Amino acid sequence: MMARILARYPFLPALVIALVLLALNGLYQPRSVSLIGLTGLTKTYLALMLLAIAQTYVVYAGDIDLSVGAIVSLVNVVLVVLMERWGGGGVSIFAAMAAGLLVGLACGLINGLVVAALRLQAIVATFATSIFFTGVALWVLPVAGLPAPTAFWRTYGGRFFEVPFVFYAVLLLALVLYLMARLRLTTQLLAVGDDAQSAFQSGLPVTAIRIKGYALCGLFAALAAFCITGDTASGDPLVGGKMTLFSVAAVVLGGAALSGGFGTVVGSVFGALIIGLINSLVYFVGTPSEWQNLVQGLAILIALMAGILVGRRTRR
Amino acid sequence: MNGIPPLFRQPLAIALLLIAVLLVLGEQLSPGFASMQQILRLLIVAALLGIVAAGQNLVILGGREGIDLSVGGIISLSAIIAGNLMNGADAGIPLAIAGCIVAGAFFGLLNGLGVTLLRIPPLVMTLGMLGVLQGLLVVIRNGIPSGRAAPVLSQFVTQPVLFGLPGIIWLWIAVGLLMAFLLRRTVFGQRIYAIGSNEHAAIMAGVPAARIRILLFVLSGVFAAIAGICLLGYSGSSFANVGEQYMLPSIIAVVFGGTSLAGGKGGYTGTMAGAVMLVVLQSILTTINIEESGRQMIFGATLLVLMLFYGRGRAMRT
Amino acid sequence: MSKLVLRDVSKTYGATVALSHGDLTLEAGEVHVLIGSNGSGKSTLCKIVAGSVRPDSGRVEIDGKPVAISGPQAARTLGIGIFYQELSLAARRTVEENICLSDLPMKAGLFIDRATLSDRAARYIALFDGVTGEGFAADAPVDTLRADQRQLVEIMKTLASEAPILIFDEPTSALDRAQVDRFFEILRGLKNDSRTIVFISHRMDEIFAIGDRVTIIRDGRTISSMAIADTQPPALIRLMVGEKEELASASAPAPAPDAGKTALAVSGLSGPGFANVGFDLKHGEILGFGGLHGQGQSAALRALFGANPYVSGTVSLAGHPVRIATPAEAIRQGFAYVSGDRRRDGVITGRSILENVTPIHFLRRRLALVRPGALRKAAEPAISAMKTRFAGFSHPIDSLSGGNQQKVVIARWLIDRPDILLLDDPTKGIDLSAKADLFALIRELAAHGMAIILYSSEDAELLANADRILVFNGGRPVRELTGEDRTRYNLYQAAYEAAFGAA
Repeated sequence: MMARILARYPFLPALVIALVLLALNGLYQPRSVSLIGLTGLTKTYLALMLLAIAQTYVVYAGDIDLSVGAIVSLVNVVLVVLMERWGGGGVSIFAAMAAGLLVGLACGLINGLVVAALRLQAIVATFATSIFFTGVALWVLPVAGLPAPTAFWRTYGGRFFEVPFVFYAVLLLALVLYLMARLRLTTQLLAVGDDAQSAFQSGLPVTAIRIKGYALCGLFAALAAFCITGDTASGDPLVGGKMTLFSVAAVVLGGAALSGGFGTVVGSVFGALIIGLINSLVYFVGTPSEWQNLVQGLAILIALMAGILVGRRTRR
Repeated sequence: MNGIPPLFRQPLAIALLLIAVLLVLGEQLSPGFASMQQILRLLIVAALLGIVAAGQNLVILGGREGIDLSVGGIISLSAIIAGNLMNGADAGIPLAIAGCIVAGAFFGLLNGLGVTLLRIPPLVMTLGMLGVLQGLLVVIRNGIPSGRAAPVLSQFVTQPVLFGLPGIIWLWIAVGLLMAFLLRRTVFGQRIYAIGSNEHAAIMAGVPAARIRILLFVLSGVFAAIAGICLLGYSGSSFANVGEQYMLPSIIAVVFGGTSLAGGKGGYTGTMAGAVMLVVLQSILTTINIEESGRQMIFGATLLVLMLFYGRGRAMRT
Repeated sequence: MSKLVLRDVSKTYGATVALSHGDLTLEAGEVHVLIGSNGSGKSTLCKIVAGSVRPDSGRVEIDGKPVAISGPQAARTLGIGIFYQELSLAARRTVEENICLSDLPMKAGLFIDRATLSDRAARYIALFDGVTGEGFAADAPVDTLRADQRQLVEIMKTLASEAPILIFDEPTSALDRAQVDRFFEILRGLKNDSRTIVFISHRMDEIFAIGDRVTIIRDGRTISSMAIADTQPPALIRLMVGEKEELASASAPAPAPDAGKTALAVSGLSGPGFANVGFDLKHGEILGFGGLHGQGQSAALRALFGANPYVSGTVSLAGHPVRIATPAEAIRQGFAYVSGDRRRDGVITGRSILENVTPIHFLRRRLALVRPGALRKAAEPAISAMKTRFAGFSHPIDSLSGGNQQKVVIARWLIDRPDILLLDDPTKGIDLSAKADLFALIRELAAHGMAIILYSSEDAELLANADRILVFNGGRPVRELTGEDRTRYNLYQAAYEAAFGAA
């Protein structure tokens, strides 16, 4: 019974862990579960959630993208530089965002081409493209610090009709994910991740499907970059670097199999949330600052292991 | 690929050829690049990477998506431990070496146990372990000052000791011979290939797969620890996260050496050449006079082009 | 005009010639049987037609027009559907998703049309109503199904292509009688629909039950084609193996077992998939495990070898009780185990023949160092006892045909001879001449005192080679057949007993 439920909703363990962590956060710091506290949490970790979603689409097909962090950095600097160059007004912001999406898409396509079409090994190939993308980001903006237009980050951190902007974003994201779960591409990606040779023999265009997975990954990485830019209000050519491995961790926490064929984007969102909640909980329980990283690291490792063990046990 | 003569499809041959080409190119761009002294400097850096890559190579050969991302953390940890235990005094070296190897083996053991007993995918397990090690480094750094390398250690790594070669290069040669012997002439080596190729069949043929895989992670930890000690000797004192820059390059060196990430196929000789090639390539890029951004773009693009010569996946339609 | 004509098709992989000369003519409304020993090129031929293997040369015509089959998708558009021997299913996807995987119905140009998908899949599931077995459901993930059920899904998936040309590469190997009967009923319906069907099977009775014409392939060449009505099994077998090969004779009388000492005594052995298995096995004896496929025979053998757990029961070797938890322990105690699933349990893929022959030797001699020269010398007699055809010890095992790979796997047990040999359907997917070699060897080993358990899914093999047969049903041995009782009738009767009782 449990196995059946879990096969259908692989993100349940992640949801439970996230809720427990949220409760613990509330226990140690009641204000953290207030509207302001949750807004802050969402504001900070929306980028990681989006990046985890991005990573999920390639993991579906059994691939991996170690360049997502570099794509975030690149889109971040492109966005900030273009917004400044085009005047910083409303139109320029939208134009720059469109350009940012295109850059993310282009990066995704490059990854897809080298991994799926040229058949390079995903781990090393996307590491190489990440170096390349970082180079481009440094070329666009050699040093960190160029501020984003006020209108941009004020909107991201602001409220409309008393409701924080990020909540609208989350709502919209939920709708998009709901629709995307029903995409034919999603099933195809999962089938490829399950057994690429079988999928090919069944007549699926495996290479094209994997490239599309990387393209989606690039697009969501660009969205993650928008959130980072909204949160940090500036351009930094190295801002995303550290996020890559966290995005992989979030996907695993969310119940997806790195070998492909199994998982949900919703789970990955909870996975990202778990990382955020662990980080804040470690702070709220009063861990001495120099111990915080170690405790966070241990907690994430334990959560990763627990998630995999629970997922496997219930899946027989 | 069919147009390429068979010899040049050998990873080792490609790597050696490319190293030669790169050296000639480097000499053209900046006279003195291929001087003996300069080449020795490159080899020292390559040895550091190559020693890490030895452990990485073993874990990858063992299959089941074997990979060790925690080596970055173990190198840094080892450098700190070594620096503190010797703190500039030669007398502290034996203790430092022992301490580092124990630490490296310990974290390798944890990785191995997680991967085998709990069946956590290696990428996830070692990624999590990397996070723990990074946290541990912060704690250690806050508690104690970063130590200094003992003079003998620095000399061993940077100064010639025998036939004009620094000790670390001799050490690397020894590692190379040890790895070749291990992989080709021991039952343990054959069993690594067996579990990397078809773990289930290997178990059915009596191969203690779990024990071997645990040992591979322990060895990877130990090699990373040794590299950490050498790194301390190279730079004189340890600084934060020195090891991380070796994490993904160690995997690339293995791939450029012709070892398949799928496991069960490859060896260490190629990896040594792969490590030298990576270091020479990086060094050329630092000698040419362009912006950091350009350097990174060229480096990334070159890696991609080079990868075309190696371990490309099987075509769907054969 | 013929439906599909294949002329002079060839395919080589490196030095291995998979298919040197393939000619095939298929008519509309016929079931065309392809027959040939393993590694003869049947599967390669099928995969070329299905577009998943690129031929080196040759021409294909459909309805008289030359066509180029550039890939699986192209083959589908040309009206070719295929059942892959190794199946082409996505394990974590559901049954209905798999059935429709090749052509997932869409709405609004982007989204999956779930309703249409379920409807379409249900049509094909309904064809096998009543024989799909427990746990089979449209929304069940394929990895929760049994082997026979997965094979049914692959059949449904092939049928769902609705292609005029349907290729079935060993579709019945895991199916039970009722499932095969239903499948043949469907095939007859398709035939009347004037579809073209290619059928591959190693079972003679099936070939003669369903086939209209037959094409024989040997060593990568299509030898000849004829109407099934014009031939007989012995003639086909002669064509398949060539005149020179000697055949396994199903009627060879089994010598009586020596009254040797008891090598292995098992009592009350129970575990996942089997219960209360007990028997005594003497040196020099071949004990058969019989019954329908998957009645606990394999599970019990694997448990004896330490590859599967057992919960209760005792195992004693030459009178001493032992408790075996891993294959390594079993090997040290003198057990050997050969599985029919050589790709999973036997072959160390991608490694050399020498590396594939030596692991048991390393373990039993507790060796630590590898000396290739000495190893070759040790392995030579073992590998030649099996009449293995191979070019050299350093060649990769994948360069051999399936039968020869299995011979190498068996040879690894013969360097240091075990006391007890467990054979778990060892001839699955192996050609007839390799089978003959294998059974001759087994008999010889028994004559030298080895104690052997043989499980075979082919009743003829059991009857010809086992001194005694323990018939399994529902995980338990239900009857022992000895001496004159070892008849096909008794075997069937014992195997089906529970089914009759329940009815």
